[in-house]
Amino acid sequence: MDNLSSVTTTLDAVAFEVDTAEGARRRILHPLTLTLREHRIAVIGANGSGKSTLLRLIAGLVTPTEGSLQLRPAGVRPGFIFANPQAQLIMPVVGEDIAFSLRRSISSPKGRRERSREILDTMGLGDRENSSIYDLSSGERQKVALAGVLAAEPELVLADEPTTLLDLRSTVEFTELLMGLEAPMIVATHDLQLAARADRVLVFEAGRLIADGAPGPAIARYREVAGAA
Amino acid sequence: MIPLYRHGTSHLHRMPVGAKFLGIFVAALAASVFRESLGVLLSIWTVTLLGFLLSGTRVRGLFAQLWRLKWLVLVLTIPQLIFLTPAEAGFNVARVLAVVMLAALFTLTTATSDILSSVERVLRPLDPVLLRGGLSAERISLALSLTIRSVPVILSFYADIREAQRARGMRPTPRATVLPLLVMSLRHAEETAEALAARGVR
Repeated sequence: MDNLSSVTTTLDAVAFEVDTAEGARRRILHPLTLTLREHRIAVIGANGSGKSTLLRLIAGLVTPTEGSLQLRPAGVRPGFIFANPQAQLIMPVVGEDIAFSLRRSISSPKGRRERSREILDTMGLGDRENSSIYDLSSGERQKVALAGVLAAEPELVLADEPTTLLDLRSTVEFTELLMGLEAPMIVATHDLQLAARADRVLVFEAGRLIADGAPGPAIARYREVAGAA
Repeated sequence: MIPLYRHGTSHLHRMPVGAKFLGIFVAALAASVFRESLGVLLSIWTVTLLGFLLSGTRVRGLFAQLWRLKWLVLVLTIPQLIFLTPAEAGFNVARVLAVVMLAALFTLTTATSDILSSVERVLRPLDPVLLRGGLSAERISLALSLTIRSVPVILSFYADIREAQRARGMRPTPRATVLPLLVMSLRHAEETAEALAARGVR
């Protein structure tokens, strides 16, 4: 647990609730106090255990209903990778989607096109620059989504089950890309091989953190809870 | 009905967005002003069909494009047949279709980012006025691009619903189609909003 990053995420009694269709309140995440500083953090747990909610809270896509959450240093820009890349891609053509992420940093369209070409080349997608996003395989689409996030040069990458929709080959390729990123990363995943490569693993069950530590013991605890030990 | 941009290097692809847009505007204006001129109608159709072929579209693709308009032809023709002769109705429908095909040619040969840049450029001087209403040139061009992107997405939802109905041996009814389509479209809108927020657009 000594591989520390430059970004610190602090959660102080953070909880999250939603309204149900019956008009009641349902707690998705129970009060959680935590400091995250490791370079690679994996969040594992069953569906509906609160993994994605934790990532959405850190990304600022939702706000805590209780407690407070802080990213340090101030002004850290997180990038978010969704499970379904189709939902993440804004523009209909691959090169245009990457260029969309560059709108704030590069003012000239030509400059954006050149930079997006460079980014796609590094991701092995150079030949897909002019392809429609609807003509891509799931693996390629997820890589484009990652490229779009990386184009904005985030200081923290949050990935919500990024390999869920991928086949084995694409999962292996995508995992290597994620693990090769320079930016610190927090990934929610069902892929225990990916989790095993993290510096720290958080295990969630029914909205509560039930294990936190090195991958070996944390994954063993998850297997025990899931009845797969 | 609205084809997505296909990358190419033809003259049409390289033409400025403004010039292409002006071309459509002039054609639509001519089709409206000279509504009884067969010469004008044939000229517009000739330019449109040549434009498709010059853009790299094959003859087969062109026919596929025309076939996609079959429902529009029906919707336009039937009411007109009540009041007009078949020849008059056919003439009117041909005028509308020519302009629709020109618009399709425009989206086929113009990258969304180029359309957005042009819209932004044109609207930029209005930013002081737009900002008072909580809008901006950038926001309007983004809304436009999201609308263009939503067309194939919603069509794919419709195809998914039809498949799901067939898988259960159901006959498609308006209620069983419209309701899930509405729910899926709203869900898509929510996901798009999150995707925009995740990429720094709020």
